[in-house]
Amino acid sequence: MINNPIIFYIASFLIIMSTFGVLFSKNVIYSLLSAIVVFFTGAIFFYILGSEYNAIIQAAVYGLAVPIIIGVSIMFTSLKKDTYQEKMIHYILIIASGIFILAFVYLLMMSMAMNPNTFNIREITQVNFFDVMSAFAKGIFINYVWAFELISLLLTIVIVGITVIKRRGV
Amino acid sequence: MDITMYHYLFIGLVLFLMGIIGTMLVKSVVKVLILIEIMLLGVNINFVTFSTFCDGIKFDGYILSLFYIAIGAVELAVALYIFYLMYKKKQSDNIEKYNEL
Repeated sequence: MINNPIIFYIASFLIIMSTFGVLFSKNVIYSLLSAIVVFFTGAIFFYILGSEYNAIIQAAVYGLAVPIIIGVSIMFTSLKKDTYQEKMIHYILIIASGIFILAFVYLLMMSMAMNPNTFNIREITQVNFFDVMSAFAKGIFINYVWAFELISLLLTIVIVGITVIKRRGV
Repeated sequence: MDITMYHYLFIGLVLFLMGIIGTMLVKSVVKVLILIEIMLLGVNINFVTFSTFCDGIKFDGYILSLFYIAIGAVELAVALYIFYLMYKKKQSDNIEKYNEL
């Protein structure tokens, strides 16, 4: 893990301010953009805690996939039909630029991961990366294999359920 | 000054509390769903923190955090689909109008 107070306090300030942004923004799109910052900063926290795998999953799922789902649902629900095309381009531009900026932050984070001495980070070698990956493999495929299979079943049920609801035309 | 376990736990606690308070205050359904995800992020930070500082062998907190991320994404997808279906009938995203399924 990385025990650097500067990174910790900057990330803490960013995540708390962005959470306030989610709470107090009047426009839902601005809330969504603040939420993207919160999710990416959460990935930074995972990274500095020594769990690179969790950080990558957090950035990929919550930083990119979930905001796209929420953004699409906002587009389908919050707009009137007469100005739909015009406003949709506006919303797509805002979301795309936000994702682009945060993807740049993500790349910066990954470059720091490849070369931790770039910013004079004092690194404590409490957590070994290979031990973490070995623990992940043992946990998912041996210790928690039933939980893993249950989540796979849950995902399958969700996909089948949404398909059935869509076909019934509810 | 070194960063201790309690610093990370405090951040997780702040995120969780802001998620709970925001869920009670906010009127928009989409904002409520985003705040629920922020609560889950606070819980995940606590899991990873405890696993890093208290469990250096099995890293169970990391694996549980992965499960929470998967379940959170599924829950969000289902909730947004239900919201979309109900929005077609209610024509509003105000949560006070969503008092029946």
